[in-house]
Amino acid sequence: MKLLKSFISFTFPLVVMLFMFSIYLIVTKVVDNYKENIINDYAIVVITNTPLLSIDKLAGIKVKDIESLSRDRIIKNVQQNLSDSSVELLQKKLPYFYKIYLEEFPTSLKLEKIRKQLMTISNIKKIETFSNDHNKLYSLLILVQNIIFILFGAVLLLSVLLLSKQIKIWFFEHNDRISIIQLHGGSLLYSSLPIIKIILGSALFSSILSSAMLFVIISNIHMIIQPEIMTLIPTVLSMEMEIFKIFLLSILIPSVTFLGLLVKYKLQ
Amino acid sequence: MILAKNLTLSYDNKKNIIENANFLIKEKEFIFISGSSGSGKSTMLKSLYGGLAVKKGNLFVNKHDLVKKSYSKLLSLRKDLGIVFQDYKLIQEYTIEENIMLPLKVHNYADDVSKAQVKKLLKHVKLSHKVGAYPAELSGGEQQRVAVARALAHNPSIILADEPTGNLDDYSSDMIWTLLKNANEHLGITIVVVTHRIPIDMGIKYRRFNIEEGVVYEAS
Repeated sequence: MKLLKSFISFTFPLVVMLFMFSIYLIVTKVVDNYKENIINDYAIVVITNTPLLSIDKLAGIKVKDIESLSRDRIIKNVQQNLSDSSVELLQKKLPYFYKIYLEEFPTSLKLEKIRKQLMTISNIKKIETFSNDHNKLYSLLILVQNIIFILFGAVLLLSVLLLSKQIKIWFFEHNDRISIIQLHGGSLLYSSLPIIKIILGSALFSSILSSAMLFVIISNIHMIIQPEIMTLIPTVLSMEMEIFKIFLLSILIPSVTFLGLLVKYKLQ
Repeated sequence: MILAKNLTLSYDNKKNIIENANFLIKEKEFIFISGSSGSGKSTMLKSLYGGLAVKKGNLFVNKHDLVKKSYSKLLSLRKDLGIVFQDYKLIQEYTIEENIMLPLKVHNYADDVSKAQVKKLLKHVKLSHKVGAYPAELSGGEQQRVAVARALAHNPSIILADEPTGNLDDYSSDMIWTLLKNANEHLGITIVVVTHRIPIDMGIKYRRFNIEEGVVYEAS
């Protein structure tokens, strides 16, 4: 009973933390998917007096492609209503039009930076960023992602405190054994082997439980969220990498907490 | 070899328990440290295995400088020692075999070598029939014999014993003295025993240090 109680005291905060992490991973996946979808439709239009030189990066975002809009086509569209001399004049005066495609979707802040950066190029006359089109939903998604990340951070902190408390209890329970082994020249790490085994066992159990919970959520996602939002969810939600991340975190957090306490005891 | 020069010991820098002690214990010697209760005998022994920091002076145990000791050096010193306590300090969750095997595991001996050594030692301390038993199933005398077997397991150069017969009847005490005497005589292990009850007839050559009010002197 005592063993079960201490096992639950350790695994419960770990599972809650891993579950929060799973939610964060799902939201990140949704945001990434949305970003990927909208970036294909999104371009910044630039009007210049002279042909535009190549641009590699804008506000730290790599430029994927710069597409020049054909001036002849624009003239062709309007030339029926114009005289030859007017067309000739138009040919001379018509500015150059470019569509700049980026590698990732910029936030409003970055868009403003991009605008300012483009404005420093002397031959640019006008910039159209279409900032309002996608930004509302994108900003909302980023907000949700950030809130979940902050929540995850808080849960992580609380979990580490609870994990360290339970590890301290285990150290106290194994104190006799640890001191006897150290009296015979065994290192603190060696003398703590039984505690390490319990920690690794609990971590493994927690990662399996959390992965199972994530799997259940993914399988039943249509029941959990509203149909309107379903369009944002990637059609194929492959979770292998996410499960690996959960496993890694389930081992990493207890190990780091344990090592931190070990260093503390060693210094004492 | 154990060398103390102007050794001063205290707990938390309060009153000195041992003051300016000077002594040399050579290899293969049998040493008794005696004195009245609270005189500092156990404190002295504790300092020899690094359980208490040296306040002043110098202390060398097997060329380990205990003044300049680091955590890793402390562990390496303890690997050279065998320690026997009045309260046995056996791990209750381990069997007798596992308890004796502990120093061998710390020294990374192979399993078959360790098992053979444990078998030999259990025969030596007349406890072969208790190999799978747990400490709680043994009498005090038997537990102390296990503790002596554990101290001998890795062939240490020094055995430190703190009141090894303090909790035992005469019969068990005699057995423990015989085991320690044999370890000194036949294996050449230096033995340092803290006791307030030196056996009348040890049958071997030994030296005795007495501690009175923190002063260590060799008694004749």
